[in-house]
Amino acid sequence: MAPAMADRRGIARRASRRPRRALALVRPRALLITEGTYPYAVGGVSSWCDLLVRNLTEFEWQVLPIIAAHGRPPLFELPAHAREVGRIELWSEGLARGGRVRRDERRVARELPAALVRSLIAWDGDHAALVEALTWCRLRPGGVRPVFRSRTGWASFLTALREVLNERVPEAGAPPGVDLVEAAQLYQSLYWVARTAAAPTPETDVLHVTAAGWAAVPALVHKAVHGTPMILTEHGVYVREAYLAAARSADSPGTRFIATRLARGLARAAYAAADIVSPVTDANALWEEGLGIDPAKIRVVYNGMAPPERPVAPPGGRTVVSVGRIDPLKDVHTMLHVARETLRRMPDATFLHYGPVTEGQESYGRSCHALHARLGLGDRFRFMGRTTDPNGVVRDADVVLMTSISEGLPMSILEAMGQGRPVVATGVGGVADVVRGCGVVTPPGDVMGLALGVRTILRDPALAWKLGERGHRRLTRVFSELACLDGYRDLLAAAVRPRGDLVALGAVGTRIAA
Amino acid sequence: MSPAGLSPLRARSIVEARLGREPQDMLEAAVALEAWAGIPAGDALSTAAAMMHAAEPKSKPSAGQLPRRARQRGIGVEALSFAVAVIAIACWAAPLSRSVGAGVVERALICALPTTLALQWGLASRYLSRPHGLAQLGRRPLGLLLAALLVTGLPAAALGLSGVLAGLLALTWTGGTIAVRRGWSLAYAGLVVAASVAMVAGLPAMWVLGAAALVTTVAVAVAVRAPRAPGAPVVQPPGRWSRALAAAALGAGLGALLVVDRSVDWSLGTMPAVALLPSSLASFWGGQHLWRFQVVIPQTLSGVAVLGDDARRLAAAPVRILVGAVARLVLLTAALSVLLLVLASALAVHVSGQSVLVGFGLVALATMFVSLLESIGRAAWAIAGVGAGVAAEIAAPPEVTTMAGGGLILGASIAVLVMAPMAFAVLGRPATTLATSIGIR
Repeated sequence: MAPAMADRRGIARRASRRPRRALALVRPRALLITEGTYPYAVGGVSSWCDLLVRNLTEFEWQVLPIIAAHGRPPLFELPAHAREVGRIELWSEGLARGGRVRRDERRVARELPAALVRSLIAWDGDHAALVEALTWCRLRPGGVRPVFRSRTGWASFLTALREVLNERVPEAGAPPGVDLVEAAQLYQSLYWVARTAAAPTPETDVLHVTAAGWAAVPALVHKAVHGTPMILTEHGVYVREAYLAAARSADSPGTRFIATRLARGLARAAYAAADIVSPVTDANALWEEGLGIDPAKIRVVYNGMAPPERPVAPPGGRTVVSVGRIDPLKDVHTMLHVARETLRRMPDATFLHYGPVTEGQESYGRSCHALHARLGLGDRFRFMGRTTDPNGVVRDADVVLMTSISEGLPMSILEAMGQGRPVVATGVGGVADVVRGCGVVTPPGDVMGLALGVRTILRDPALAWKLGERGHRRLTRVFSELACLDGYRDLLAAAVRPRGDLVALGAVGTRIAA
Repeated sequence: MSPAGLSPLRARSIVEARLGREPQDMLEAAVALEAWAGIPAGDALSTAAAMMHAAEPKSKPSAGQLPRRARQRGIGVEALSFAVAVIAIACWAAPLSRSVGAGVVERALICALPTTLALQWGLASRYLSRPHGLAQLGRRPLGLLLAALLVTGLPAAALGLSGVLAGLLALTWTGGTIAVRRGWSLAYAGLVVAASVAMVAGLPAMWVLGAAALVTTVAVAVAVRAPRAPGAPVVQPPGRWSRALAAAALGAGLGALLVVDRSVDWSLGTMPAVALLPSSLASFWGGQHLWRFQVVIPQTLSGVAVLGDDARRLAAAPVRILVGAVARLVLLTAALSVLLLVLASALAVHVSGQSVLVGFGLVALATMFVSLLESIGRAAWAIAGVGAGVAAEIAAPPEVTTMAGGGLILGASIAVLVMAPMAFAVLGRPATTLATSIGIR
């Protein structure tokens, strides 16, 4: 990789000669890199992106989505000061162009797959080596595919993978006996990591990455080449969600190992490259610290809601509403069991679940419908599909239920509080901090506790209204849209000023009031 | 004791109860402790780390998930329709020759065969071999219209009447491929049979062909407007142009292999068009067997540990698939060719030469290798093989070309000889092929 390093320094020198744009005259450019979300999918992260892009008009937004190739149009219309600067389509047949490997570089090039295994999949991968390998991909985009299609590339990969599988680190356990099918799957994933790194990024003043995974790859390469500051916002915790998905899957040990180690490698790389990590809740910050981020880099910026209207009392029809995708992370199975427990004692209650099945989780969706039938819930629990009016559906509820096993700071809870509705939820991620004093929080998967919470509130409309009003006040005080936008405005503004400002940035994150 | 007040033993029992197995590493243990035991993140992480230190980890064997084999429906109907279509189209040669002259038909076929094969291979690569290929074609109505105009207009402008005939033939055959992809193989066979009956009955052959081309074009317009499969949430993009162009070049090359040999006179009655039938039907059978390699390769590799050392014995099963496919193609071609010769003799039909049947069999074999190499993205190797074959056929010495189908045999043999080692090498290294060729297109 040595020649690549020389090239990289060359580019960095050229970049440093570029005159810094005068902030007062021109809008600073912010490159927002998304992963499977904005502007091609709806959901909490997409809504958050849209909030930032629409409201932080002092920045010129450049949106770079990373998506699976599907040929669908975007679901969000970008405002005038924002534009999509291409998109990175994973698993597509598209080819990267330019920068082919020179004859004298071939020996170095064939080590690319091995370098990615050692730096991304090993327990203690070397961040500098990863950045060097990924930067090589950016400088030789046309060379990535030939390297990965070559026998020598595969051979170097296998050698490195054997080293990783022979690692013995106490915390890491014993790697499973990964077979050749799984190895080939990992090889293809690493090819797409390399392709993602090879994708061009436009000139920009600050990089804003929306997940500590694939979205960080183009950003960390851009930073390595141009020295541009990088902000990372995590809504959930990428590694935690990857492990949760793997833990609940019926995949083989090797497939789980590959999925989680790759997610961990990408997240470690994102954390190492980011100048600031801005989780949306303190609970996520604890994970990020546990995963090795310097606490000084962490700035919590809570999600916020537009100032809600004065709430009205719940309708009193014993209606329980939940809003969220049908996804293993939302633990809809537990929700169905909670409904059954509630209906045993309170047969006139109605459960309405709003939200589509997550793409790729169709089998989970089918399992939810099967469980619904097996539990005999009939019309008392209805899957209502996607809603375009989450506030409206929450307003019609007497209580809002959430059974997730992983969350950041869920918008559905904030929407419930905005409409003055009490919440019964599992205490994952930032939920417990948010719901404090305005609902019931139980451990995840606690069917009896959740059902008891739902019944208690449904039986006592006065209590429901009191908790709802308290939630509304708390939302207005702590989780306001303005505070959220100010937090990111300060972070981005500090980033486009000389670097020291960002590092020394003080109390940007608001702390939850007691 | 950990900060959560759990001993490593207790923590492990909670984690194993929740996961139903040992945790992979400390992060999985921490996630389980937090998500299902309600232990706060910081405590969960330190408890999990202590837990992993306290136990001796054991590596577990693993076997990757195998792809499900897609069921191919209607293959029998498709093969039968194909056979009927070939026989019917073979019947067109005589009426067309009577109508416009044998020379015109000869020139038209020399132009139409490579053109059609190029279009069919290109369309298959970019659209028809893909789950939403027809829907993608339907999104390009102007492109389709332009292509139809070019297919008929360019040859007509260049070759006059021969070009008009070539364009109509290419349009009918290529449109037929799209109709077959839509599942209308019987209807397409019916159309060409009806056209044959009309021609044999004495209706003007060019007008009948024009009508057949028109009906096929309308059918294509309807076929690509058909709704996507229900429940398909995503329209996958078409394949890339560079790959489609390479496939088209291969199709054109295979077409050239068929028509460069001037000893094969395509305007001589129903022969040699019917002589294509044995090798084409054998290709169906051989090809069906060969496509199992996509399942057999992962099956062979599943459960074979990366840390193990049994790579040599892995080659056997995939290579057996290729050998089986070749054997099926050769044996069925031989059997059907003998049957055809017996039938031709019984019916006192002129056969241009038994060696032509051998030539067509070799072309079918070359085609099988081409499709294998193209399907795994090694089109360059296939182009080398087909190119070498066409070059040999063009440069064939007179003593070879005097034999009916001699040039064909030489060219196809060279193509087979160039590509066979590549095909066997590809399947003889199943892990490398799965990782570098099947997985990365």
